[in-house]
Amino acid sequence: MTLTLSEAGQNVVAGTFGRAMKHAGEALGSMCGQVIEVQTPQLKRCSAADVLTMAGGAESIVLAVYLGITGSLQGHALLLFSPADAHRLAQILLAGLLGPGELPMEETADVLAYDELELSALQEAGNVTISAFLNELGMHLHEPVQPTPPQVVIEMAGAVLDAVLLDLVGEADQVLAAKTTFSEGGRAIDGTMFVLPRADSLRVLLDALGAIGI
Amino acid sequence: MTLTESPSLLVAGIGEMVLSSTPGDHLVAYGLGSCIALAIWDPRTHVGGLAHFMLPAGPANDASPVKFIDTGLDTYFKALEAKGAFLNRSVLKAAGGAAMLTVGGGLAIGKRNEESLRAALTVRGLTLGATAIGGTAGRTVQLEVADGRFLIKSLSSITEL
Repeated sequence: MTLTLSEAGQNVVAGTFGRAMKHAGEALGSMCGQVIEVQTPQLKRCSAADVLTMAGGAESIVLAVYLGITGSLQGHALLLFSPADAHRLAQILLAGLLGPGELPMEETADVLAYDELELSALQEAGNVTISAFLNELGMHLHEPVQPTPPQVVIEMAGAVLDAVLLDLVGEADQVLAAKTTFSEGGRAIDGTMFVLPRADSLRVLLDALGAIGI
Repeated sequence: MTLTESPSLLVAGIGEMVLSSTPGDHLVAYGLGSCIALAIWDPRTHVGGLAHFMLPAGPANDASPVKFIDTGLDTYFKALEAKGAFLNRSVLKAAGGAAMLTVGGGLAIGKRNEESLRAALTVRGLTLGATAIGGTAGRTVQLEVADGRFLIKSLSSITEL
């Protein structure tokens, strides 16, 4: 089933997703002790191929933090970073948790190698960020929307995203994709957040937002 | 006007197929996770094809002709035959069908794609040769039209099937 929204309806949804993504960026920022800038989110209906393009191309290598979305809204959420930016984010996060001298600060030769501490910090960053997003949506739904535990994958973007996309495009050709980019002072860290709700659970959210029939 | 015979890269995006009989062409599918790529190459006519399938079964789809294995396979075969390939002497190799995400019970689509592809080929009297299917690593694959070599690239290795 494809829902057709009026322009006013689309604006309501875009506004809500925008606020939720801003909260997500603020949560990540307060975890890092940094100001995180959140770009105006893009919300669009697009093909699986378009989502891969939005992620920088199927072959680009990313560190992805994945969380499933469960509860009254279902779907998938991902934070994507370039491998180098993910290292920088992990170092910023760990600097707040560990004392000086305890930090595994040395630049690793292999940008795809992460130690346990870094991976766990990045998982937690994904958890905090996506949870903040979902809390905002949950307020509108008056029901909790929960993330699954996070999983970190270092892979080609296409390989990470295709399982998620395949879960969404069995019945439909298009998915609803919400994307924003976070950056921290001087563009030291760029991250991309994707939220991809399942179409069959989207109606509940649209109803709760009053986006249908306006 | 000069005609440049430089090797060219033809990319099979998600749900798409590419075909060529030009030696020097490379047929590529980038970043396969649970998707499955089927490479077919006729050693006599040197016609090659690469299809980037997404899911086991669903209705025929004009925008993504090989989105589904059950309805896309015959479209792919017909296009190859029209280009001069004979399927019963062609070499079939496949890669992909990995399980990248394990959270929340995992999305076991990769395994279903493999089973569906093998079954669909058996029904048509064809069998897969070499494969690189399953596991938890993403793959980029490349079929060399000149000689039928099928290269599999992951983040940690490049292998030839």
